[in-house]
Amino acid sequence: MPSSISSFERTIPAQPWNRLAGIAVALTPAAVVAWELYCRSLGYGPTLNDTPDLWAERREAVRPDSLVIIGDSRPLFDVDLDQLEKGLGQRPIQLAIAGSCAYPVLANLAADPQFRGTVICSVVPLMFFAPGGPLIANAEDALKKYRTRTLAQRSGHQLVMLLEERLAFLKQDDLTLGQLLKRLPIPNRPGALAPPPLPPYFSTADRERRPRMFEPCAQPGPLQNRVKLGWLPLFTPPPPPSFVPREAFLAGVKQAVEARFKDAAAAVKAIRARGGKVVFVRFPVSGEVKKIEDQATPRQGPWTRLLAESGAPGIYFEDFPELAGFECPEWSHLSNADSIEFTKRLAPHLKKALSP
Amino acid sequence: MVASYIFYGAWNPPFALLLFATTALDFVLGAQIAQASTPRTRRGWLIASVAVNLSMLGFFKYGNFLLENFQWLVARVGVQYQPPHLDVFLPIGISFYTFHSLSYTLDVYRGETQPTKSLRDFVLAVSFFPQLVAGPIVRAADFLPQCVAPPVPVRNRFYWGLFLLTFGMFEKVVLADALLSSSVDTVFGHGGPIQTLDAWSGVLAFAGQIFFDFAGYSTCAIGAALCLGFSLKDNFRFPYAAVGFSDFWRRWHFSLSTFLRDYPYIPLGGNRSGPVRAAINLMIVMFVGGLWHGAAWTFVVWGLIHGVCLVAERVLRSLFHEAKWTQSTAAQLLFGLATYVVVCFAWVFFRATDFNTALRLIGAMVGSFPRGDAILSTREILQVALVTAGLLLSHWVLRSTSIEAMVVRLPRWLMAAGWTFLAGAIILIQGNGNAFIYFQF
Repeated sequence: MPSSISSFERTIPAQPWNRLAGIAVALTPAAVVAWELYCRSLGYGPTLNDTPDLWAERREAVRPDSLVIIGDSRPLFDVDLDQLEKGLGQRPIQLAIAGSCAYPVLANLAADPQFRGTVICSVVPLMFFAPGGPLIANAEDALKKYRTRTLAQRSGHQLVMLLEERLAFLKQDDLTLGQLLKRLPIPNRPGALAPPPLPPYFSTADRERRPRMFEPCAQPGPLQNRVKLGWLPLFTPPPPPSFVPREAFLAGVKQAVEARFKDAAAAVKAIRARGGKVVFVRFPVSGEVKKIEDQATPRQGPWTRLLAESGAPGIYFEDFPELAGFECPEWSHLSNADSIEFTKRLAPHLKKALSP
Repeated sequence: MVASYIFYGAWNPPFALLLFATTALDFVLGAQIAQASTPRTRRGWLIASVAVNLSMLGFFKYGNFLLENFQWLVARVGVQYQPPHLDVFLPIGISFYTFHSLSYTLDVYRGETQPTKSLRDFVLAVSFFPQLVAGPIVRAADFLPQCVAPPVPVRNRFYWGLFLLTFGMFEKVVLADALLSSSVDTVFGHGGPIQTLDAWSGVLAFAGQIFFDFAGYSTCAIGAALCLGFSLKDNFRFPYAAVGFSDFWRRWHFSLSTFLRDYPYIPLGGNRSGPVRAAINLMIVMFVGGLWHGAAWTFVVWGLIHGVCLVAERVLRSLFHEAKWTQSTAAQLLFGLATYVVVCFAWVFFRATDFNTALRLIGAMVGSFPRGDAILSTREILQVALVTAGLLLSHWVLRSTSIEAMVVRLPRWLMAAGWTFLAGAIILIQGNGNAFIYFQF
């Protein structure tokens, strides 16, 4: 029988490792500091990244009687949590997700047998009735993280938040290698279906996921223009895929939209059956984005039908002069200052809609 | 050992118990095999070990797959059977630690190693956290002797381990995730026909991604183990410079290929019973190897493609082994390129979630859809091309050496600059948090 003593030991290459490690330990932080200073000189500041981990933390904070906000990026920017707490007497939990459809989260709350709280659900019909794609995937990613987060991921995220609150270069939407490479001015082939670029970074976020729009974006200027132009392709419905006949594709979309009406109504019913409340809200929108939305999904279309089929109350910003006068500087979201005033004015309407 | 269990339990605490149960059982069975007085009893204890380990793996990893295939099979003879869907959560790394643990009883049975008397040492050998969830598959015979005496801290070993850890992270975070993964996801996630350029870009990107992801993990594991004073064997040796498929499997994930060679292949008869039997044995082993990666027929097809290529290579070698032209540099380069191209075709089945996607991509690669969609940006195509060119070039330059031998030759200033670059890139590039691909196996 062979000896139990193994002769296997890895070779250590001959190098002055002590000195090499010392140099690497000295130079790496220096490079990081240089990059941090450069990023700050470009106008970046420390802020949290609004990741599925952060969303999952807020979802875990939901209690049976919580007040939660769900939907797309508009309630994220337009609702000031302090003002809403003052108005409704309860601290809301922000569960809206930028670039997402509200339905998966609505369904998640409806399927939670403990939940009997209040849901403020933003509806941008182009997004709420999305049959699939990234709008659904973004919400599903957050829910998946909520369901599967491990202890290691939780503690890792706590550590990451400490760093993100102190370092400006930690910007997943703007300063990762992937994002930086996307900025290279390399033209695409004719007919290439490369997705449109997302608008640049224009807000900060805190641990309650409250984004605040930067002043340079709230004021007319190059950043505001870049963000505006970023929305147009994103709010323009994409053409049918080349590999599916147009009629079949449209029929599939119609079927999915019909199913969404039915499923959303069922989710509302399930929450209400447990004593919970749901209110749909159409948040302000302006300029070219409003034109696209009004043309694709007129007020009398999906919005009216959703309220009728679900039986839930709804607040459409244009119905009330005190809510209709707000202008979104980059066409889709309110500035930080306006979001505070808007929430002050919205709260009484929400209170009325939610009262028995 | 405690740290390893905390590491594993941080993912899902109850599965740490499963890990311990598997380990403890093989510890006991290893002792029984060693103490057995007759060959029949020895074989009985070994069969018990193999059966329990593979049943555990089968239940967690292949339960639903087997039920679905059973349903399909009985439907062919007219029986409608709706099996219950097993709501089973796959314990992370179960394929790896089952093989770690099983290799011990197999080696004790074969007389390759002595049974350890220390449960603590064996628990550490199986659960040692650097290699626990994604390999390399460590043989007890290689690791257990290192547990006999506590490792003595050695400064240079620690720093070398740290360097390897940095290098492995760079492969994963920068090369696999930041530069390649999005092209792979776009191409393999597209629902329709695409152009040849896009298909090849996606497949080459995956060939790079899977290498950097898995070799990166293995390098991290080796580095972390070195920092703690333990030595793990290599798992990769510049595989995309392989000339032929037998060479490929001597360079790619060879902790698995040696496991498959030593356990199923040689006991099946290896190549001792003639070429036909050897070919059948190879196909069986590659079938098992494919299935080991995942409970799907696409993985099996991937394994079988490699099996067919291994058999074909043996036939060709027997026909041309005396031809001198096959040893020329040009011929070697050509064979190497051919190997890489076939490996890439096989990767399509490994990555695709179903056969429709795989066959559509293969069709696109051979130019079947000239009017297919162009789905990658020019920037993404260039990115894949540059990374792939760098990958192939580095593998060919280093194919007959090792990373240690290369590092010895590098000037100190370059090593210092390189180490700083690797560490800085990992920090500044900010990974996207993708899990290692092999965690799912």
